[in-house]
Amino acid sequence: MKWYENTGRDHDVIVSSRVRLARNLVDYPFGNRLDDTSKKEIIAKVKDALCDGKKYTFRDFASLSETERIAAAEEHTVSPEFARGTGPRALIESADGSSFVMVLEEDHVRIQTITPGFSLDEAFDKAREIDQKLDSKLNIAYDEKLGYLTHCPTNLGTGMRASVMMFLPGTARSGSVRNLSNQLGKIGLTIRGMAGEGSSADGCLFQISNQVTLGVSEEETIAKLTKITERLIEQERALRKKMFEQDPDALTDRVMRAYGTMLYAALIDTEELFRLYSDVRLGVSLGVIDCVTAEQLDRILIGCMPAVLMRDNENVRDARSRDKARAETVRRLLSGPEGKN
Amino acid sequence: MLCERCKKNNATVFYRESINGKERSLSLCEECADKARKNGELETDLLNDGFFSEPLGGVDKLFGSLFGFPQLVGHKSAPEKKCSLCGATFRDLMSEGKAGCPECYRTFSDELSSTISRIHGTTSHTGGAPSRFKADRDLKDKIKSLEKGIKAAVDEENYEEAARLRDELRAIRAEKGDETK
Ligand SMILES: [Zn+2]
Ligand SMILES: [Zn+2]
Repeated sequence: MKWYENTGRDHDVIVSSRVRLARNLVDYPFGNRLDDTSKKEIIAKVKDALCDGKKYTFRDFASLSETERIAAAEEHTVSPEFARGTGPRALIESADGSSFVMVLEEDHVRIQTITPGFSLDEAFDKAREIDQKLDSKLNIAYDEKLGYLTHCPTNLGTGMRASVMMFLPGTARSGSVRNLSNQLGKIGLTIRGMAGEGSSADGCLFQISNQVTLGVSEEETIAKLTKITERLIEQERALRKKMFEQDPDALTDRVMRAYGTMLYAALIDTEELFRLYSDVRLGVSLGVIDCVTAEQLDRILIGCMPAVLMRDNENVRDARSRDKARAETVRRLLSGPEGKN
Repeated sequence: MLCERCKKNNATVFYRESINGKERSLSLCEECADKARKNGELETDLLNDGFFSEPLGGVDKLFGSLFGFPQLVGHKSAPEKKCSLCGATFRDLMSEGKAGCPECYRTFSDELSSTISRIHGTTSHTGGAPSRFKADRDLKDKIKSLEKGIKAAVDEENYEEAARLRDELRAIRAEKGDETK
Protein backbone atom coordinates (compact mmCIF):
# COMPACT_ATOMS: atom_id res chain seq x y z
CA MET A 1 0.00 0.00 0.00
CA LYS A 2 1.32 3.46 -0.85
CA TRP A 3 0.47 6.63 0.98
CA TYR A 4 -1.41 8.02 -2.02
CA GLU A 5 -3.69 5.01 -2.20
CA ASN A 6 -5.39 5.92 1.06
CA THR A 7 -7.98 8.51 1.87
CA GLY A 8 -7.61 11.14 4.57
CA ARG A 9 -9.26 13.94 6.52
CA ASP A 10 -10.00 17.21 4.68
CA HIS A 11 -8.83 15.59 1.48
CA ASP A 12 -10.64 18.21 -0.60
CA VAL A 13 -7.91 20.68 0.42
CA ILE A 14 -5.07 18.67 1.95
CA VAL A 15 -3.26 16.15 -0.25
CA SER A 16 -0.79 14.87 2.34
CA SER A 17 0.87 15.57 5.67
CA ARG A 18 4.57 15.01 6.25
CA VAL A 19 7.11 15.03 9.02
CA ARG A 20 10.87 14.74 8.72
CA LEU A 21 13.45 14.26 11.48
CA ALA A 22 17.18 14.75 10.87
CA ARG A 23 19.40 12.53 13.03
CA ASN A 24 23.12 11.78 13.18
CA LEU A 25 25.32 9.30 14.94
CA VAL A 26 28.01 10.52 17.33
CA ASP A 27 31.60 9.62 16.34
CA TYR A 28 31.06 9.95 12.59
CA PRO A 29 31.75 12.99 10.44
CA PHE A 30 29.20 14.39 7.97
CA GLY A 31 28.91 14.34 4.20
CA ASN A 32 32.08 14.31 2.15
CA ARG A 33 34.22 13.72 5.25
CA LEU A 34 32.80 10.19 5.42
CA ASP A 35 34.73 7.47 3.60
CA ASP A 36 32.96 4.45 2.09
CA THR A 37 33.96 2.21 5.00
CA SER A 38 32.32 4.55 7.51
CA LYS A 39 29.30 4.89 5.27
CA LYS A 40 28.86 1.13 5.19
CA GLU A 41 29.23 0.99 8.97
CA ILE A 42 26.51 3.61 9.42
CA ILE A 43 24.20 1.76 7.01
CA ALA A 44 24.78 -1.51 8.91
CA LYS A 45 24.13 0.11 12.28
CA VAL A 46 20.88 1.76 11.21
CA LYS A 47 19.76 -1.43 9.53
CA ASP A 48 20.43 -3.44 12.70
CA ALA A 49 18.57 -0.90 14.81
CA LEU A 50 15.42 -0.85 12.68
CA CYS A 51 15.15 -4.05 10.68
CA ASP A 52 14.75 -6.58 13.47
CA GLY A 53 11.32 -7.77 12.45
CA LYS A 54 8.94 -7.63 9.51
CA LYS A 55 7.86 -4.04 10.06
CA TYR A 56 10.76 -2.38 8.23
CA THR A 57 12.37 -3.51 5.01
CA PHE A 58 15.85 -2.58 3.87
CA ARG A 59 16.88 -1.60 0.36
CA ASP A 60 20.34 -0.86 -0.96
CA PHE A 61 19.32 2.35 -2.70
CA ALA A 62 22.57 2.71 -4.64
CA SER A 63 21.85 -0.55 -6.47
CA LEU A 64 18.54 0.66 -7.94
CA SER A 65 18.30 1.88 -11.52
CA GLU A 66 18.18 5.60 -12.15
CA THR A 67 14.54 5.35 -13.20
CA GLU A 68 13.61 3.60 -9.97
CA ARG A 69 15.45 6.16 -7.90
CA ILE A 70 13.88 9.16 -9.64
CA ALA A 71 10.46 7.49 -9.48
CA ALA A 72 10.84 7.17 -5.70
CA ALA A 73 11.45 10.91 -5.55
CA GLU A 74 8.38 11.54 -7.69
CA GLU A 75 6.36 9.48 -5.24
CA HIS A 76 7.72 11.78 -2.50
CA THR A 77 9.30 8.88 -0.64
CA VAL A 78 12.87 10.17 -0.99
CA SER A 79 14.36 13.59 -1.69
CA PRO A 80 15.56 14.50 -5.20
CA GLU A 81 19.10 14.88 -3.83
CA PHE A 82 18.98 11.36 -2.44
CA ALA A 83 17.64 10.00 -5.73
CA ARG A 84 20.42 11.61 -7.75
CA GLY A 85 23.22 11.11 -5.24
CA THR A 86 26.16 8.77 -5.50
CA GLY A 87 27.95 6.43 -3.10
CA PRO A 88 26.62 3.94 -0.55
CA ARG A 89 23.16 4.80 0.74
CA ALA A 90 20.09 2.91 1.85
CA LEU A 91 16.35 3.28 2.17
CA ILE A 92 14.37 1.61 4.94
CA GLU A 93 10.60 1.51 4.48
CA SER A 94 7.78 0.64 6.84
CA ALA A 95 5.37 -2.09 5.79
CA ASP A 96 2.40 0.31 5.89
CA GLY A 97 4.04 2.48 3.21
CA SER A 98 4.02 5.63 5.33
CA SER A 99 7.54 5.83 6.71
CA PHE A 100 10.86 6.10 4.89
CA VAL A 101 14.29 6.31 6.42
CA MET A 102 16.97 7.68 4.15
CA VAL A 103 20.39 6.60 5.34
CA LEU A 104 23.20 8.92 4.20
CA GLU A 105 21.23 11.72 2.69
CA GLU A 106 22.51 15.10 3.90
CA ASP A 107 22.39 13.79 7.47
CA HIS A 108 23.30 10.25 8.49
CA VAL A 109 19.62 9.48 8.98
CA ARG A 110 16.53 11.25 7.74
CA ILE A 111 13.28 9.82 9.01
CA GLN A 112 10.34 10.92 6.96
CA THR A 113 6.69 10.02 7.14
CA ILE A 114 3.89 10.83 4.76
CA THR A 115 0.20 10.28 5.46
CA PRO A 116 -2.83 11.15 3.33
CA GLY A 117 -5.00 14.19 4.01
CA PHE A 118 -4.74 16.37 7.09
CA SER A 119 -2.95 14.03 9.50
CA LEU A 120 0.06 15.81 11.01
CA ASP A 121 -0.31 14.12 14.39
CA GLU A 122 -0.33 10.70 12.78
CA ALA A 123 2.71 11.55 10.65
CA PHE A 124 4.53 12.85 13.74
CA ASP A 125 3.67 9.77 15.83
CA LYS A 126 5.03 7.48 13.13
CA ALA A 127 8.24 9.49 12.86
CA ARG A 128 8.66 9.49 16.63
CA GLU A 129 8.21 5.73 16.75
CA ILE A 130 11.19 5.26 14.43
CA ASP A 131 13.17 7.92 16.26
CA GLN A 132 12.71 6.10 19.57
CA LYS A 133 13.67 2.79 18.03
CA LEU A 134 16.88 4.31 16.69
CA ASP A 135 17.59 6.04 19.98
CA SER A 136 17.24 2.82 21.94
CA LYS A 137 20.01 1.19 19.89
CA LEU A 138 22.31 4.02 18.81
CA ASN A 139 23.97 7.10 20.25
CA ILE A 140 22.32 10.01 18.50
CA ALA A 141 24.29 13.27 18.29
CA TYR A 142 22.76 15.82 20.62
CA ASP A 143 23.77 18.86 22.58
CA GLU A 144 21.88 20.13 25.61
CA LYS A 145 21.89 23.67 24.32
CA LEU A 146 21.59 23.16 20.55
CA GLY A 147 19.41 20.04 20.51
CA TYR A 148 19.89 17.47 17.76
CA LEU A 149 23.13 18.16 15.89
CA THR A 150 22.74 18.25 12.12
CA HIS A 151 25.00 18.68 9.13
CA CYS A 152 23.48 22.04 8.28
CA PRO A 153 22.88 24.49 11.13
CA THR A 154 19.45 25.36 9.69
CA ASN A 155 18.15 22.05 11.09
CA LEU A 156 19.59 22.27 14.62
CA GLY A 157 17.22 21.83 17.55
CA THR A 158 14.40 19.45 16.78
CA GLY A 159 15.74 18.59 13.33
CA MET A 160 12.10 18.47 12.39
CA ARG A 161 10.22 19.69 9.41
CA ALA A 162 6.47 19.32 9.40
CA SER A 163 4.44 20.16 6.35
CA VAL A 164 1.11 19.88 4.60
CA MET A 165 0.64 19.76 0.85
CA MET A 166 -2.40 21.84 0.06
CA PHE A 167 -4.55 22.02 -3.06
CA LEU A 168 -5.53 25.70 -3.23
CA PRO A 169 -7.21 26.60 -6.54
CA GLY A 170 -9.55 29.08 -4.87
CA THR A 171 -6.79 30.87 -2.98
CA ALA A 172 -4.49 30.87 -6.01
CA ARG A 173 -7.10 32.28 -8.38
CA SER A 174 -8.18 34.96 -5.93
CA GLY A 175 -4.59 36.24 -6.13
CA SER A 176 -3.96 36.13 -2.40
CA VAL A 177 -1.01 33.73 -2.36
CA ARG A 178 1.58 36.50 -2.30
CA ASN A 179 -0.14 38.08 0.65
CA LEU A 180 -0.32 34.72 2.35
CA SER A 181 3.42 34.21 1.78
CA ASN A 182 4.21 37.39 3.65
CA GLN A 183 1.95 36.50 6.54
CA LEU A 184 3.33 33.00 6.89
CA GLY A 185 6.92 34.24 6.62
CA LYS A 186 6.36 36.47 9.64
CA ILE A 187 5.37 33.55 11.85
CA GLY A 188 8.21 31.25 10.78
CA LEU A 189 6.34 29.22 8.16
CA THR A 190 7.19 28.85 4.48
CA ILE A 191 4.84 28.38 1.54
CA ARG A 192 6.18 27.01 -1.72
CA GLY A 193 4.29 26.64 -4.95
CA MET A 194 4.73 23.21 -6.41
CA ALA A 195 6.05 23.07 -9.93
CA GLY A 196 4.43 21.56 -12.97
CA GLU A 197 1.85 24.14 -13.84
CA GLY A 198 1.48 25.69 -17.22
CA SER A 199 0.94 29.25 -18.24
CA SER A 200 -2.72 28.45 -18.82
CA ALA A 201 -3.50 27.82 -15.19
CA ASP A 202 -2.18 29.12 -11.92
CA GLY A 203 -0.31 26.73 -9.69
CA CYS A 204 -2.67 25.02 -7.27
CA LEU A 205 -0.44 22.80 -5.15
CA PHE A 206 1.39 24.36 -2.26
CA GLN A 207 3.64 23.06 0.43
CA ILE A 208 3.46 24.80 3.79
CA SER A 209 6.08 23.98 6.39
CA ASN A 210 7.97 25.28 9.40
CA GLN A 211 11.22 27.11 8.86
CA VAL A 212 12.65 27.31 12.36
CA THR A 213 13.77 24.22 14.29
CA LEU A 214 15.60 25.71 17.26
CA GLY A 215 13.78 27.04 20.32
CA VAL A 216 10.39 25.66 19.28
CA SER A 217 9.38 22.19 20.44
CA GLU A 218 8.01 19.51 18.13
CA GLU A 219 4.54 19.81 19.66
CA GLU A 220 4.50 23.60 19.35
CA THR A 221 5.58 23.37 15.72
CA ILE A 222 2.83 20.86 14.88
CA ALA A 223 0.24 22.89 16.82
CA LYS A 224 1.13 26.11 15.01
CA LEU A 225 1.06 24.48 11.60
CA THR A 226 -2.24 22.76 12.42
CA LYS A 227 -3.87 25.99 13.49
CA ILE A 228 -2.80 27.88 10.37
CA THR A 229 -3.79 24.98 8.12
CA GLU A 230 -7.28 24.86 9.62
CA ARG A 231 -7.71 28.54 8.86
CA LEU A 232 -6.45 28.11 5.30
CA ILE A 233 -8.80 25.18 4.72
CA GLU A 234 -11.80 27.27 5.72
CA GLN A 235 -10.66 30.20 3.61
CA GLU A 236 -10.05 27.95 0.60
CA ARG A 237 -13.50 26.36 0.83
CA ALA A 238 -15.16 29.77 1.01
CA LEU A 239 -13.19 31.02 -2.02
CA ARG A 240 -14.07 27.93 -4.06
CA LYS A 241 -17.74 28.39 -3.28
CA LYS A 242 -17.55 32.05 -4.27
CA MET A 243 -15.76 31.16 -7.50
CA PHE A 244 -18.47 28.64 -8.35
CA GLU A 245 -21.33 30.98 -7.56
CA GLN A 246 -19.90 33.74 -9.77
CA ASP A 247 -20.37 31.59 -12.87
CA PRO A 248 -21.56 28.03 -12.22
CA ASP A 249 -21.94 27.18 -15.91
CA ALA A 250 -18.42 28.24 -16.85
CA LEU A 251 -16.90 26.32 -13.98
CA THR A 252 -18.97 23.21 -14.68
CA ASP A 253 -17.96 23.42 -18.33
CA ARG A 254 -14.28 23.59 -17.45
CA VAL A 255 -14.52 20.65 -15.06
CA MET A 256 -16.46 18.43 -17.45
CA ARG A 257 -14.19 19.24 -20.39
CA ALA A 258 -11.19 18.30 -18.28
CA TYR A 259 -12.87 15.08 -17.25
CA GLY A 260 -13.78 14.32 -20.85
CA THR A 261 -10.17 14.79 -21.87
CA MET A 262 -9.04 12.45 -19.11
CA LEU A 263 -11.45 9.81 -20.36
CA TYR A 264 -10.76 10.07 -24.08
CA ALA A 265 -7.40 11.70 -24.84
CA ALA A 266 -4.75 9.53 -26.50
CA LEU A 267 -1.76 11.69 -25.57
CA ILE A 268 -1.37 13.72 -22.38
CA ASP A 269 1.79 15.60 -21.44
CA THR A 270 2.82 16.57 -17.93
CA GLU A 271 1.60 20.13 -18.15
CA GLU A 272 -1.82 19.11 -19.39
CA LEU A 273 -2.09 16.49 -16.68
CA PHE A 274 -1.57 19.11 -13.98
CA ARG A 275 -4.27 21.28 -15.47
CA LEU A 276 -6.73 18.39 -15.82
CA TYR A 277 -5.94 17.28 -12.28
CA SER A 278 -6.60 20.77 -10.89
CA ASP A 279 -9.85 21.31 -12.77
CA VAL A 280 -11.36 17.92 -12.00
CA ARG A 281 -10.21 17.93 -8.37
CA LEU A 282 -11.86 21.32 -7.92
CA GLY A 283 -15.03 19.98 -9.55
CA VAL A 284 -15.10 17.01 -7.18
CA SER A 285 -14.87 19.22 -4.10
CA LEU A 286 -17.71 21.43 -5.34
CA GLY A 287 -19.94 18.47 -6.14
CA VAL A 288 -19.93 19.35 -9.86
CA ILE A 289 -18.78 15.83 -10.63
CA ASP A 290 -19.15 12.70 -8.51
CA CYS A 291 -17.86 9.81 -10.61
CA VAL A 292 -14.29 10.30 -9.45
CA THR A 293 -12.68 11.03 -6.06
CA ALA A 294 -9.89 13.35 -4.91
CA GLU A 295 -7.89 10.29 -3.80
CA GLN A 296 -8.17 8.76 -7.27
CA LEU A 297 -6.92 12.00 -8.80
CA ASP A 298 -3.92 12.18 -6.45
CA ARG A 299 -3.10 8.64 -7.43
CA ILE A 300 -3.33 9.56 -11.09
CA LEU A 301 -1.06 12.57 -10.64
CA ILE A 302 1.67 10.53 -8.96
CA GLY A 303 1.17 7.48 -11.16
CA CYS A 304 1.71 9.67 -14.24
CA MET A 305 4.93 11.34 -13.20
CA PRO A 306 7.60 10.82 -15.88
CA ALA A 307 9.88 8.33 -14.11
CA VAL A 308 7.01 6.49 -12.42
CA LEU A 309 5.51 5.94 -15.88
CA MET A 310 8.84 4.77 -17.20
CA ARG A 311 9.30 2.37 -14.29
CA ASP A 312 5.81 0.91 -14.57
CA ASN A 313 5.55 0.67 -18.38
CA GLU A 314 8.16 -1.23 -20.35
CA ASN A 315 7.16 0.36 -23.64
CA VAL A 316 7.97 3.94 -22.65
CA ARG A 317 11.05 4.99 -24.61
CA ASP A 318 10.64 8.67 -25.41
CA ALA A 319 8.47 11.69 -24.73
CA ARG A 320 5.80 10.58 -27.23
CA SER A 321 5.41 7.05 -25.94
CA ARG A 322 5.34 8.44 -22.42
CA ASP A 323 2.47 10.79 -23.27
CA LYS A 324 0.63 7.79 -24.66
CA ALA A 325 1.30 5.71 -21.55
CA ARG A 326 0.19 8.65 -19.44
CA ALA A 327 -3.16 8.89 -21.24
CA GLU A 328 -3.64 5.14 -20.84
CA THR A 329 -2.74 5.25 -17.15
CA VAL A 330 -5.19 8.10 -16.53
CA ARG A 331 -7.96 6.08 -18.20
CA ARG A 332 -7.07 2.91 -16.33
CA LEU A 333 -6.96 4.60 -12.93
CA LEU A 334 -10.25 6.40 -13.61
CA SER A 335 -12.01 3.11 -14.22
CA GLY A 336 -10.07 1.30 -11.50
CA PRO A 337 -11.62 -0.45 -8.49
CA GLU A 338 -12.38 2.90 -6.86
CA GLY A 339 -14.03 4.33 -9.98
CA LYS A 340 -17.77 4.24 -10.45
CA ASN A 341 -17.89 4.17 -14.23
CA MET B 1 6.12 28.92 -27.13
CA LEU B 2 9.62 27.55 -27.76
CA CYS B 3 11.73 25.68 -25.24
CA GLU B 4 14.10 28.19 -23.72
CA ARG B 5 16.99 25.73 -23.72
CA CYS B 6 17.15 24.22 -27.21
CA LYS B 7 14.94 26.85 -28.85
CA LYS B 8 13.82 24.12 -31.30
CA ASN B 9 11.00 22.12 -29.74
CA ASN B 10 7.81 23.45 -28.31
CA ALA B 11 7.90 24.00 -24.56
CA THR B 12 5.48 21.62 -22.89
CA VAL B 13 6.87 21.51 -19.37
CA PHE B 14 6.53 24.63 -17.33
CA TYR B 15 8.20 25.01 -14.01
CA ARG B 16 7.28 27.64 -11.59
CA GLU B 17 8.53 27.93 -8.08
CA SER B 18 7.68 30.53 -5.54
CA ILE B 19 9.31 30.71 -2.17
CA ASN B 20 7.67 33.25 0.08
CA GLY B 21 6.77 35.43 -2.84
CA LYS B 22 9.98 35.15 -4.89
CA GLU B 23 9.19 33.57 -8.22
CA ARG B 24 11.24 31.74 -10.79
CA SER B 25 9.99 30.06 -13.91
CA LEU B 26 11.25 27.95 -16.80
CA SER B 27 9.64 26.66 -19.98
CA LEU B 28 11.19 23.56 -21.46
CA CYS B 29 10.49 20.81 -23.96
CA GLU B 30 10.20 17.27 -22.58
CA GLU B 31 13.71 16.37 -23.69
CA CYS B 32 15.42 19.35 -22.10
CA ALA B 33 13.32 18.88 -18.98
CA ASP B 34 14.45 15.27 -18.81
CA LYS B 35 18.08 16.31 -19.11
CA ALA B 36 17.70 18.98 -16.46
CA ARG B 37 15.90 16.56 -14.19
CA LYS B 38 18.62 13.95 -14.53
CA ASN B 39 21.64 16.11 -13.88
CA GLY B 40 19.90 17.90 -11.06
CA GLU B 41 20.67 21.39 -12.29
CA LEU B 42 17.02 22.22 -11.91
CA GLU B 43 16.20 23.04 -8.35
CA THR B 44 12.66 23.56 -9.52
CA ASP B 45 11.26 20.47 -11.10
CA LEU B 46 8.51 18.00 -10.64
CA LEU B 47 10.47 16.27 -7.92
CA ASN B 48 10.97 19.32 -5.90
CA ASP B 49 7.80 20.25 -4.12
CA GLY B 50 9.62 22.16 -1.43
CA PHE B 51 9.49 19.60 1.34
CA PHE B 52 13.10 18.57 1.11
CA SER B 53 14.62 21.91 0.20
CA GLU B 54 16.52 23.77 2.81
CA PRO B 55 14.73 26.77 4.24
CA LEU B 56 15.94 30.28 3.43
CA GLY B 57 17.07 29.09 -0.02
CA GLY B 58 20.71 28.56 -0.97
CA VAL B 59 22.01 27.80 2.48
CA ASP B 60 25.61 27.67 1.34
CA LYS B 61 25.56 31.23 0.20
CA LEU B 62 23.76 32.28 3.31
CA PHE B 63 26.14 30.47 5.57
CA GLY B 64 29.14 31.94 3.82
CA SER B 65 27.88 35.47 4.05
CA LEU B 66 26.86 35.05 7.65
CA PHE B 67 30.31 33.80 8.41
CA GLY B 68 32.24 36.61 6.83
CA PHE B 69 33.40 38.13 10.11
CA PRO B 70 36.54 40.23 9.94
CA GLN B 71 38.10 38.82 13.13
CA LEU B 72 38.38 35.43 11.46
CA VAL B 73 40.82 36.61 8.87
CA GLY B 74 43.44 37.72 11.37
CA HIS B 75 45.41 35.66 13.93
CA LYS B 76 47.67 34.17 11.30
CA SER B 77 50.45 33.52 13.79
CA ALA B 78 48.30 31.39 16.10
CA PRO B 79 47.86 27.72 15.06
CA GLU B 80 44.41 27.17 13.62
CA LYS B 81 41.97 25.38 15.90
CA LYS B 82 40.88 21.99 14.57
CA CYS B 83 37.91 19.81 15.45
CA SER B 84 39.22 16.79 17.36
CA LEU B 85 36.86 14.36 15.62
CA CYS B 86 36.85 15.42 11.97
CA GLY B 87 39.85 17.73 11.74
CA ALA B 88 37.88 20.59 10.20
CA THR B 89 38.93 24.17 10.85
CA PHE B 90 36.48 27.01 11.14
CA ARG B 91 37.69 28.15 7.74
CA ASP B 92 36.51 24.77 6.36
CA LEU B 93 33.09 25.27 7.92
CA MET B 94 32.93 28.69 6.35
CA SER B 95 33.72 27.51 2.87
CA GLU B 96 31.52 24.39 3.09
CA GLY B 97 28.60 26.17 4.72
CA LYS B 98 28.04 23.18 6.97
CA ALA B 99 29.51 21.50 10.02
CA GLY B 100 32.15 18.78 9.51
CA CYS B 101 30.78 16.51 12.24
CA PRO B 102 28.59 16.72 15.36
CA GLU B 103 31.62 17.61 17.48
CA CYS B 104 32.28 20.75 15.39
CA TYR B 105 29.36 22.43 17.16
CA ARG B 106 31.20 22.10 20.48
CA THR B 107 34.65 22.88 19.09
CA PHE B 108 33.44 26.06 17.39
CA SER B 109 30.55 26.94 19.67
CA ASP B 110 31.70 30.54 20.17
CA GLU B 111 32.36 31.15 16.49
CA LEU B 112 29.02 29.60 15.48
CA SER B 113 26.69 31.13 18.01
CA SER B 114 25.94 34.34 16.14
CA THR B 115 25.30 32.44 12.90
CA ILE B 116 22.91 30.07 14.64
CA SER B 117 21.14 32.90 16.34
CA ARG B 118 20.74 34.71 13.02
CA ILE B 119 19.18 31.62 11.42
CA HIS B 120 16.85 30.66 14.25
CA GLY B 121 16.48 33.76 16.39
CA THR B 122 17.77 31.81 19.39
CA THR B 123 20.56 29.44 20.39
CA SER B 124 18.62 27.39 22.89
CA HIS B 125 16.76 24.16 22.12
CA THR B 126 13.30 23.30 23.42
CA GLY B 127 11.77 19.89 22.82
CA GLY B 128 12.76 16.27 22.33
CA ALA B 129 16.01 14.63 23.38
CA PRO B 130 17.63 11.19 23.13
CA SER B 131 16.83 8.98 26.11
CA ARG B 132 20.28 9.45 27.67
CA PHE B 133 19.53 13.19 27.99
CA LYS B 134 15.82 12.87 28.53
CA ALA B 135 15.56 12.99 32.36
CA ASP B 136 17.65 16.14 32.51
CA ARG B 137 15.73 17.74 29.66
CA ASP B 138 12.36 16.96 31.24
CA LEU B 139 13.50 18.47 34.53
CA LYS B 140 14.62 21.66 32.79
CA ASP B 141 11.33 21.89 30.90
CA LYS B 142 9.42 21.30 34.17
CA ILE B 143 11.33 24.08 35.94
CA LYS B 144 10.69 26.39 33.00
CA SER B 145 6.96 25.70 33.08
CA LEU B 146 6.76 26.11 36.86
CA GLU B 147 8.50 29.47 36.62
CA LYS B 148 6.02 30.51 33.95
CA GLY B 149 3.13 29.27 36.13
CA ILE B 150 4.33 31.22 39.17
CA LYS B 151 4.58 34.40 37.14
CA ALA B 152 1.10 33.89 35.70
CA ALA B 153 -0.37 33.16 39.16
CA VAL B 154 1.22 36.30 40.60
CA ASP B 155 -0.09 38.36 37.70
CA GLU B 156 -3.56 37.05 38.43
CA GLU B 157 -3.01 37.76 42.14
CA ASN B 158 -3.60 34.10 42.87
CA TYR B 159 -1.00 33.99 45.63
CA GLU B 160 -2.11 30.66 47.02
CA GLU B 161 -1.43 28.98 43.68
CA ALA B 162 1.87 30.84 43.32
CA ALA B 163 2.99 29.62 46.75
CA ARG B 164 2.06 26.06 45.90
CA LEU B 165 4.03 26.17 42.63
CA ARG B 166 6.97 27.80 44.40
CA ASP B 167 7.08 24.92 46.90
CA GLU B 168 7.05 22.46 44.04
CA LEU B 169 9.87 24.29 42.31
CA ARG B 170 11.88 24.42 45.53
CA ALA B 171 11.44 20.67 46.02
CA ILE B 172 12.66 19.97 42.49
CA ARG B 173 15.67 22.24 42.91
CA ALA B 174 16.55 20.66 46.26
CA GLU B 175 16.41 17.23 44.70
CA LYS B 176 18.63 18.39 41.88
CA GLY B 177 21.06 19.78 44.46
CA ASP B 178 20.70 23.23 43.03
CA GLU B 179 19.87 25.76 45.77
CA THR B 180 20.80 28.87 43.86
CA LYS B 181 18.19 31.56 43.26
ZN1 LIG C 1 14.32 21.90 -25.43
ZN1 LIG D 1 34.15 18.19 13.46
